[in-house]
Amino acid sequence: MREALARLRSRRGRTLLAAVGIAAAAAMIGTAVTLSYGLATGFDRAVEQADLPDVTARFDRRTRAEVDQRVGALANVEERSYRLEVEGVGLDSAGGSSSEGTISLVPPGRRGYAVVDGRDLSGRAGEVLIERGLAREWELAPGDAIDVGRLGRVRVAGVVVSPENVAFPLQPNPRVYLPDQLLPADFRDRGRSVNVVLIWARDRSRLDSLLVQARSQSFGLEDLSFTTRDGVRALVDQLAGIVIALLIAFSLVALATAGVMLGAAAHADVQRRLKSIGVMRAVGFSRARVARRHALEAAIVALPAGALGLATGALLAAGPTAGLLEILNELPAGSAVLVPLALCLAAIVVLVALTTAWPAWRAASLPPAQVLRGAGLAPAPRRSRAPGGPFGLGLRLALGRRARTAATAIVVASATAVVLLMLALASFLGRLQDDPGVVGKRYQLTASLPAERAGEAGQLPGVAAAAPRYVADAVDAFELGQPVRLVAFPGDHTTFEAPQLAEGRRLRDDGEAEVGQGLADTLGVRPGGTLAVALSSGEEVRFRVVGVVRTLEREGRVAYVRPSRLLAADPSIGPEIAVRLEDGADRGEVERSLAAIGARPRGVGGAGSNDQAFLGKLAAVLRVVAAVNGLICLYVLAQTLATMAAERRPTIAVLRSAGARRAAITLVLGGVAAVVVGVAVPLGVVVERFLLGPAVARLAADYASLPLGAGAGQVLAVTAGLVGLATAAAVWVALRVEREPISAGLREG
Amino acid sequence: MPLVAARGLVKTFGSGRGARRVLDGAVLDVAPGEMVALLGRSGSGKSTLLNTIGGIDRPDAGTVEVAGHRLDRLSEGELTRFRATEVGFVFQFFHLIPELTGEENVLLPARLARPGGAPPGRARALLDRLGLDGAAERLPHTLSGGEQQRVAIARALVNEPRLVLADEPTGNLDPASGATVLQALRAVASGERAVLLATHDDDAAALADRIVSIEDGRLRS
Repeated sequence: MREALARLRSRRGRTLLAAVGIAAAAAMIGTAVTLSYGLATGFDRAVEQADLPDVTARFDRRTRAEVDQRVGALANVEERSYRLEVEGVGLDSAGGSSSEGTISLVPPGRRGYAVVDGRDLSGRAGEVLIERGLAREWELAPGDAIDVGRLGRVRVAGVVVSPENVAFPLQPNPRVYLPDQLLPADFRDRGRSVNVVLIWARDRSRLDSLLVQARSQSFGLEDLSFTTRDGVRALVDQLAGIVIALLIAFSLVALATAGVMLGAAAHADVQRRLKSIGVMRAVGFSRARVARRHALEAAIVALPAGALGLATGALLAAGPTAGLLEILNELPAGSAVLVPLALCLAAIVVLVALTTAWPAWRAASLPPAQVLRGAGLAPAPRRSRAPGGPFGLGLRLALGRRARTAATAIVVASATAVVLLMLALASFLGRLQDDPGVVGKRYQLTASLPAERAGEAGQLPGVAAAAPRYVADAVDAFELGQPVRLVAFPGDHTTFEAPQLAEGRRLRDDGEAEVGQGLADTLGVRPGGTLAVALSSGEEVRFRVVGVVRTLEREGRVAYVRPSRLLAADPSIGPEIAVRLEDGADRGEVERSLAAIGARPRGVGGAGSNDQAFLGKLAAVLRVVAAVNGLICLYVLAQTLATMAAERRPTIAVLRSAGARRAAITLVLGGVAAVVVGVAVPLGVVVERFLLGPAVARLAADYASLPLGAGAGQVLAVTAGLVGLATAAAVWVALRVEREPISAGLREG
Repeated sequence: MPLVAARGLVKTFGSGRGARRVLDGAVLDVAPGEMVALLGRSGSGKSTLLNTIGGIDRPDAGTVEVAGHRLDRLSEGELTRFRATEVGFVFQFFHLIPELTGEENVLLPARLARPGGAPPGRARALLDRLGLDGAAERLPHTLSGGEQQRVAIARALVNEPRLVLADEPTGNLDPASGATVLQALRAVASGERAVLLATHDDDAAALADRIVSIEDGRLRS
C-alpha cells in the first residue's frame, strides 16, 4: 500500500487527472441514482410516514353514528377514523388566496398524513395544519397566520404531506386540517356529520373482501367512492411512471457512460505505462502481481474520487428531486439514499480496479522483451481506404480502436435515443396541452344547445359535423367506489372521439360499450364482459363490453356508449353539442356563427385544465433531462478524444513538430468524433424508434396511446446538436493538447 | 551567412533545488550544406538543443536564427509555420504513424503545410531515392527498423526544408541499418540544406563535416 501511494505521488498530475475523470463519472451516477431512487421510493416512504389508510371512502354527509354502525360491521378493520371534509372554503394569507380550499376536520387518533414541519394539532383553538404544496406556494411556515373561511384567522401549527393526491397547485384545492372539536358553533351538526372514513385493514392481503363487504354495507350512501392505497399508487405511477422510467433509462446511460469512460481511461493509462510493466515482468513480477498492483493503485484513486463525485452528484440532484417529490406529495429519501450510493461507490471502485487490472494483465501476458521494444496492447493496424490527411487520420485512429469506438458509439447512441425519446415525449405533452386530437378528440368546440338543434349547428359554414355529446359520471355497480365516466354519442362516436382501439371492436348498438384501458384494468372487464354502472340517480345501467380503448381522459376510466339507455335511466342528463370543424375552417368565425344561433361556444382543451400545469412541468423536466443527456454526450465525446489524444501523444507531437496547426489537430480529433457520431446517430434513431419508444409507450398503454417515434425535425436537430458537441469537444481537446510541450510527447517512444 | 546561428542559449528544467540547467550559454553555427554531429552523453542536452533550434522548445535566454528567422521573435502560429516549411525532424523512435502507409506518412507534413499536399509522385520519388521502393504501400509495422527510419527521413524532406534535425537516428537500429540511415542523412546535407545530427555514437559522428561536443550545457568544437 505504501509503495502504491508513493507511485501515485510520483505522478501527481496524471493521478489527479484520473481522479477528476472518476469523480466526473461518479457525479453522473450520483445524480442519476439520487433522482431515480428518490422517485421510485418516494410514494412508499410517504405512505409509511403518513400512515396512509388502506381504504378511504367518501360519500354524502351522514351522521357519524350511522356510518360507524356500518363500518363497525366490517371484518378485517384494524382501525377507522371519521372526517368531515368541507369544500369550497375561502383561504387567505399574505402569500395568496383561494376560494377552492378544502377543510378536513380531524378527530383524535390515526391521521393519514405526515407532519414535515412544525407539529401536529394539539387540540388548542386557533391552530391549523396546511398541506406542503400550500405552504410552498404561499410561502407559509409554522407560526404564520392564515384566514380559513368563517373560522377567521388561525395560526399554522405544522405542514403536512399526504400522498393521497398530487400537491397544490397541481390539484387546485388547497387542503387544511383542523381539529374537529373546534368547529364554530354555526356548524350545526358539529361532531356528528362525516363524509369521509379512513380504514386501516388488519390484513392487507384480504383487502378485496373488505371492499366487497363495504359495498354490501353501503346501501343508501350517495356519491360513494373508494380510494385504496393501491389505487393511489396506480394514479401516482401513471403520473410519475414515465418520468421514473426515463430517469432509470438515463441512469443506465450514465452508468454505461461512466463504465466505458473509466475503462477507456484505465486502458490508456496502462498503455502509457507499458514499459514499466515490461520492466516489472523482466525482474520477476508475476502477471497476477502486476495486475494486483495496478488494481490497488486504481482503487486508491477511485475511492476518494468516487466518493467525492457521488456526493457532488447527489447534492446536485437533491434539489430537483425534492421539487418533483413535492409536486407528487411524496417524501425525499433522506439518508436512505446513502445505501444505494454506498453500493455505487463499491461498484465504481471495483469497476475502476478491474478495468485497470485487465489491460495490465493483458500487457503482463506479453513477452517482456516485446513490451520493452515498444509493443502495444492494440492490434496492428490494418490498411484503410480513408484519406491520408488529418481528418482521415482521425478516422483511422478511431477505426484502429474498434472495441473502444464501438463502446463509445453505443453509449452516445443510447444517450441520443434517450434525448430523442424525451424530445418526442415533451412535444407530445406540449401537443396534449393544446391539441385535443392527441387524446383522440376530433371536435374542437362544444356548444350549449338542446340535442335536437345539433343539426342546425352542423349546417353552419366551417362545421364538418355536430352531434349531442352526453356525459354521465357514475360508479361501477359491482365494485363500488370505482368511478366511471360514460360518454355517449348517437351513432358513430369516432366521428368526434376516436381513442385508439386496443382490443375488441367498436360499439355498434345501444347495449354495447367501449371501455377505457384504465377502467378495463381496474374492473377486470374485457370484450364479452358486462359493465354495470350505478348512475347518480341511483339507476343501474348495463352494457356489454365489446372493445377496450386507450384514452388519457380520467386515467382511462371512461366508457363510450350510445345515449338511449342512459337517457332511459336518467332523462335529466343533458348534452352539449360537439362541433367538429372543417379542415382550414376559421374557428373564430364558427364561434360567432354558433353565438348567433344562441349557443355558447367553448374551446376543447386537450388535457383537463388541472393537468395542464403538470404536463407543462413534466415537459420542462423532460427537456432538462434531455439537455443533461446532451451534456453526457459532450462529456463522452470529450473524454474519448482526450483519451485518444493521451494515448497517441507521440503521434500528436509528431504532427505538431511537422507544423500541424490547431485546426489540423482539431481535424484529426474531429475524424475520431465523426466515426463515433456517424455510428451513434443511426443507431440511436433505431433504438429510439424500435426499442425505447415502444417500451415507454407500453408503460403508458394503460391509459394512453403515445406516438413516441421522433420526428425528422427532431432527428435532424439532435444530429446537428451532436455534430456541434463533437466539434466543441474536438476544439476543447485540441486547445488542451496545444498547451502541452511537443517535446514531452516525443519522449514517449 | 550561417543557416543556423544560436547564441547564448540557456534552458533550465525544474525549479528550486531540483532545477537542472541543461543548456548554459550554448553557441552554435551551422552552414548550408554542412552536416554537423552533436556528440554528448545521454542527458547532456543534445535533444534540448535540437528542439530549441527546431522551434519545438523555447530557450529561457539567448537567440536562435534559422534560415533568416529569429525564433524568439516568432509567435506560436509563426513558429508552427516555420516548423512546417524550414525544418524536418528525424527521431530516434522513428515516430511513424502506424495507421498510415509509408507514402502517407511521408506526405503528411506536406498535407499539414498546405491544402492539397505535395506534388504527385513526390513521396514515391523520395522513397525511391532512399532505396525504399516497396515501402510506399506498406504499413510501418511491416517494415524493418532501418526502413522505418528511412521513411522518417523521407518524411523530414518532403517539404524541402533547409535544415534537417536528426536526434539519435541510429539509436534504435542495428549497426548495418544504422549505417544505411547515416549514409542517407549524409546525402541529405548538400547544397542549401544542412543536417544537425545528435548522437553519442563516434561512428556516426565520423561521417559528419564537423563535430561539436556538448558538456555541462556548453558546446565545444
